[in-house]
Amino acid sequence: MSTITALGLVLLVLMVLVGGKQGWTAFLSLLLNFGFLYFAIVLIAFHVPPLFVTVTTGIIILAVTIFMGEDDLRTTVTAFYASLIVTAVLILLIVLVEHWAMVQGFGTEDSDDLEGMSILIGISYFKVLITVTTLSTLGAIAEAAMAISAGLTEILTTHPEASDRQLLRSGMAIGRQIIGTTLNTLFFGFFGGFLALFIWFAGLHYSLGTIMNNKIFVAEMIEILISFIGVLLTVPTTAWIMTKRRSKVAPR
Amino acid sequence: MLEHYWSRWRLVLLLVLSLVGAAALFFTSHNQQFYQRPIARVERVQPGAVRRTSDQFQNVDHQHQQRLTVRLLNTAARGQQLTVSNTYSDSQPMDLRYHRGDQLFLSQLKSRHGRLSANVAGYKRDGVIVFLFWLVCLLLLMMMGSAGALALLSVLVNTILFILAIIIDLKNNGEHVMLIFGSLAVIFTVVSLLLILGPTKKMLATAAATIIGTFTALGVSLLVFNWTHERGIYYESMQYVTQIPRPLFLAETLLGSLGAVMDESSDIIATLFELKQLNPAVSRTTLFLSGRSVGKSIMGPLVNVLFLIFMADTFTSSLLYIKNGNSWGYTFAMNMSLGTVQSLVSGIGIVLAVPLVSGFGALLLGRRTLK
Repeated sequence: MSTITALGLVLLVLMVLVGGKQGWTAFLSLLLNFGFLYFAIVLIAFHVPPLFVTVTTGIIILAVTIFMGEDDLRTTVTAFYASLIVTAVLILLIVLVEHWAMVQGFGTEDSDDLEGMSILIGISYFKVLITVTTLSTLGAIAEAAMAISAGLTEILTTHPEASDRQLLRSGMAIGRQIIGTTLNTLFFGFFGGFLALFIWFAGLHYSLGTIMNNKIFVAEMIEILISFIGVLLTVPTTAWIMTKRRSKVAPR
Repeated sequence: MLEHYWSRWRLVLLLVLSLVGAAALFFTSHNQQFYQRPIARVERVQPGAVRRTSDQFQNVDHQHQQRLTVRLLNTAARGQQLTVSNTYSDSQPMDLRYHRGDQLFLSQLKSRHGRLSANVAGYKRDGVIVFLFWLVCLLLLMMMGSAGALALLSVLVNTILFILAIIIDLKNNGEHVMLIFGSLAVIFTVVSLLLILGPTKKMLATAAATIIGTFTALGVSLLVFNWTHERGIYYESMQYVTQIPRPLFLAETLLGSLGAVMDESSDIIATLFELKQLNPAVSRTTLFLSGRSVGKSIMGPLVNVLFLIFMADTFTSSLLYIKNGNSWGYTFAMNMSLGTVQSLVSGIGIVLAVPLVSGFGALLLGRRTLK
């Protein structure tokens, strides 16, 4: 048995033991997300326009993560709408920023891995980069939207008379509670993955100026900062959607 | 409420941040003197010949020549004009198409008979990071106030610690990687939680739970590695490796999952403290069960957060592998296997943390139930 299969089985058993039915759906959502991600690569390889792939895969991954992560429809529908809006805004920002930064494709540090490869594949690496950056932020947006939405659903259930203003304020208050740990999750998630690259930079004594203009470093920083922005935008957006959907969440 | 929201200090903050942002952007577009490498601005672009390329996998692309008239912005020859040539392709994997107004780095700058010549060596992109960082600061401080400031501070402190650990790692020539980054993980946890929660009993409980959860997950995963003899893990496919890959990979995995486990632990512990406050006589069993019910609803989304971060980075190289005629299986093994292992190990950490944190919190806060 390969290590990946064994680790997957361990994860499955643990998830079911800890979470029961919910643990099982959580595992299934991970599998589905993997499938859709891989399918997105294959679609782009078959020259399907990357932006189209980004939007459809993005919507599917958000739906899988949100609707399979939680059963309460009052929470999930709000979270789903909010994350769709935030993702749309983010894609615009990503296109603008990546156009300015021009960090598509590979850096000189990748040369070793590219040896013997034909890199002129006739697919715009710029568009692929938009896909990559968008996909990497989706999880964070979905998670933040669900946290805010769940908190507000709770408030609406216990205080159905709360005004829209109070709801917005409570949404921001919940946001303040989660922002510290959420930013840490993203920081460690991204920095953990790039430990080797940073050791490379430090070991070869790259100057600050070189690092700040390095293609791979800038691409990575853009991903981190864009997901920070995504999470920050999610907080008021979710609260706002909740005020629009309040009659469906907690009928007076 | 709007009047209240736009209180005076917020307006002052907005004004100060806008000024700082404008100054920072101005600085990054005029900081050429601080660079040793020659920098020039593109003033004119003349398109040149186009050549069609194709490879044995029927990938078709076009290579374009362009002649760029550029003006030097630093070095002794500052202000002088020269022309350089550049080649770019439709897909732009390692080459770039330059436009008027772009700033670029030059190499091999030479002067022969008063005529300057140089090669294009890259694009200047420091302004982008500065702009985005400023945008994050603006949103954080304007929307989240002091909580945002603390979150920002914790990220900055962690960055400094991270750099320090890398320097220590290099001093040791890549030995004791796990010791260095293992201790770093403990320090990270304590520092981040101190900044977010303050020096409270809650913070101690969360930190202890996070550390136990993360390291148990790594232990369990190492056991699985042992049983399966690490079959299907291709350390040679790890990118940017300058040291022995295996310990480096384990350190990456440990750090990668740390934030998520911390996130989850603080949510669970916060709920348990709240329950204890509402009912000081609450039993351990009740605490454990409510901890578990909080944990099981957040573990799924959290695993997906990390999964997408780890896997998105393998997207471009996987695409390249497929376009180079490799099978889907080989493409997965060479690009995504490490990311998958990382996601699974982090997932195990996130799931294991639920009973561990709930149990720990229950022991700490609950009253012994007599049977």
